[in-house]
Amino acid sequence: MNRLTLSETIEISMEIGRILLQNGSTANRVELMMCKVCKIFGYPETEAFVTPTGIFLTVSESKENITTSIKRIENRQTDLGKITKISHLVNDMERQYCKEGVCYWNADQFREELKHIEKEKAWPDWFTILCGGLTSGSFCLLFGGSWMEFAVAYTVGVLVSLSLKLLGNLKLNNFLLHILGAALVVVFAKVLDIWVPYIKLDNIIIGGIMLLVPGLSFVNAIRDAMSGDLVSGTARGVEALFLAIAIAAGSGIMLKLFELWGM
Amino acid sequence: MRPFDHLTMMQFCWSALSILGFSIRVNLRGWKIFLIALGGGLTWAFYLIFLYFSESLLFSVFFSVLLVCIYSEIVARLSKIPVSVFVTCVIIPLVPGSNLYYAMQAYIAGNSTVTSQNLYKVLLISGTIALAIAVVSSVTSIILRVKSKF
Repeated sequence: MNRLTLSETIEISMEIGRILLQNGSTANRVELMMCKVCKIFGYPETEAFVTPTGIFLTVSESKENITTSIKRIENRQTDLGKITKISHLVNDMERQYCKEGVCYWNADQFREELKHIEKEKAWPDWFTILCGGLTSGSFCLLFGGSWMEFAVAYTVGVLVSLSLKLLGNLKLNNFLLHILGAALVVVFAKVLDIWVPYIKLDNIIIGGIMLLVPGLSFVNAIRDAMSGDLVSGTARGVEALFLAIAIAAGSGIMLKLFELWGM
Repeated sequence: MRPFDHLTMMQFCWSALSILGFSIRVNLRGWKIFLIALGGGLTWAFYLIFLYFSESLLFSVFFSVLLVCIYSEIVARLSKIPVSVFVTCVIIPLVPGSNLYYAMQAYIAGNSTVTSQNLYKVLLISGTIALAIAVVSSVTSIILRVKSKF
């Protein structure tokens, strides 16, 4: 039965905004969520401004006491599970933990819960890697592959997911990661082609490329632009365009190299 | 391929399976991922059915994305997951990754006609998907606003 102070409110809502934005939520939704959290904690006078690379949050307690905080967001990834969990947490806050600015949880419990969400893994690593294989194999069948090609595409998908996971540890930027990913798809497909007879490589490579397409940036760009958030709409759109160029460039370079080598 | 025959059914299954794999890859969990997989399958099935009746690529992309976005707006609200998460996973089968690859391949082979054909397709298909998502999300926000007034 306590009321959170201004600095604790800013800290917790910043943390919520950071997790949402880093894992690929739309800017409009992050703004709404942060304002909602501050309102739940009893500070209805809140302004939030979110771009894909930073968060600005101003919370006012009274006319004189206004605090602004800025957070820079650097590495971004795609983890829709965390977005869902944060949304559930905010909904639970609204319904159970806090009523009319009075919280049944103190700030430490919220910090603990957020840390738990940040750390928790939905699936073990080996399982997500196998599912990457399932995705690329099924796309290969969808675009008209045979069962043998499905097996090869499955192997390619597993190998590419594994190497993307390992490359992720090097903290490369997204653009380079997509170039390398698309290049590796072509390399694995061409190398497996040496041992497996009677397969067409087109569907296998397309199956691998579908693992990398920037669907999230694309959807976020449209939804942001539609909700009037022009800054993040254009930024996300340009990101999607660059990633598509990166995929085309990566696969193109490798196709040309293999052609020069005579395969 | 006629609509509603076993080939469409199999394509539906493969599309649903690939979206199931995709949603596990982006760390979603629980029974909701089967709803997302169903949505992914429906996207491709609607696309094939519309393509059979209209024989127009962009028409079928537009209407399949439109229908599936309506499905995801409803189901995402019922199953309490954010709508953008749902839509992101569901439209993946229609994203023109194959045309991007064919464009690159034709460019390397020196065939500029096929390259530009495929590049046009990439741009037009992504624009059409964008338009369909935009229509559904704006109409939904209007409906929600009108609903909150009464």
